[in-house]
Amino acid sequence: MLPDSLTPSDISALLSRVAKQDRAAFAKLYEATAPKLLGVVLRILKERSWADDVIQEAYLKVWQRAGLFDKGKASPITWLVSIARNKAIDELRKHPAGRTTTDDAMDERVARQATVQDQMEDQQVVNKLNHCIGELEKERQDMVRLAYLSGWSRDELASQYEQPVNTVKTWLRRALQDIKGCLES
Amino acid sequence: MTEHDDLDMQIAEFVLGTLPAGERKALQARRELDPALDARILQWEEQLIGMTDDVAPVQPSPELFAQIERVLDQRATQLNNTASVVMLRRRVNQWRWSTAAASAAALVLVAVLTFQPANNPDSFVAVFQHDDQQPAFLLTVDLQNRQLNIRPVTAEAQPGKSYQLWIKSDELGPNPRSVGVLGDQMQLDQGALKQYDPALLREATFGISLEPPGGSPTGQPTGPAIHGYLYPAGDDLSRRI
Repeated sequence: MLPDSLTPSDISALLSRVAKQDRAAFAKLYEATAPKLLGVVLRILKERSWADDVIQEAYLKVWQRAGLFDKGKASPITWLVSIARNKAIDELRKHPAGRTTTDDAMDERVARQATVQDQMEDQQVVNKLNHCIGELEKERQDMVRLAYLSGWSRDELASQYEQPVNTVKTWLRRALQDIKGCLES
Repeated sequence: MTEHDDLDMQIAEFVLGTLPAGERKALQARRELDPALDARILQWEEQLIGMTDDVAPVQPSPELFAQIERVLDQRATQLNNTASVVMLRRRVNQWRWSTAAASAAALVLVAVLTFQPANNPDSFVAVFQHDDQQPAFLLTVDLQNRQLNIRPVTAEAQPGKSYQLWIKSDELGPNPRSVGVLGDQMQLDQGALKQYDPALLREATFGISLEPPGGSPTGQPTGPAIHGYLYPAGDDLSRRI
């Protein structure tokens, strides 16, 4: 949850202070953004201590690379979440057995609902994306969400949906193309 | 499907998370040195980020930030001990390998980071790494005398290949320029930087690539580039490595 007082431009400003090695700004940035990042990472890895490790690595990377953040190219939340999410998926691919179960991801998908106070993203953008994903066939909607939110690999999706891996790849790419087309329309 | 579309889908699947591990790693390595690719990844990240709106935040334990701060403190102490580093300079985005050249399959090592020790502003050191663990080469540049010294640390001669050192600076245009090809003993003419003035050298980025014997046939580094790391200079250096 982003405290009411912190807007994306506040986060950008904190990042540019962090780039100058400002530890107080780093603490504020962490406080404001870590719950969001941990939520995303935990959803992928399921294991709390594993997720904590990834969050630690992610913020150390943020400390090192804050100077590379360019607010003209990315929103600060996207930039931060992507660093953590990328690390989580790297970890998952390195140690696929480390995750105890993938079953609960299906439940989370069914139970998904946005809570008002959690929202860090621009709601219009979120609504549009949800609309575009909603345009896909039901099965492909689920696959996209399982992949993005829960870190399911092509292989895991293939066995869940009883399809050859190449078919899954084709479906995913088609779904991504459709989403892109829809977002641009 | 065109090549452009195919890359776009590769990027999209990378961001979605379903790109197979090997392709994923390769794309991440390329991203470090290809600003155009990085920008396209950022675009896809921006397009899909809305999905995380559904994810409930989770409050981290207080110990986690304390632990992160401890690591930062440790690193800061390590730096201070060498008493020689003030300014760290990131040059990651300064490299623009040509895409055509990047398609050649060559193992490449590149330092993308240089730094300048403050108490000795007339020289600096860059460390070139194979991976996250092992320094491959150490490059020292004496700015005043425009002399360089390159020393292999763990890098070994590769049969039928040559290491080549490159310099990149905005003043020299968008592409890296060859400094020279390392000889059989991994040495390079100390005066190879004579033509560049100290101000340019101070701002420049250096890279090393593994090329066909005698150096790159295209005049540009070939192959994807790997990231480098900052290391403090000074007397402690050899001990740290």
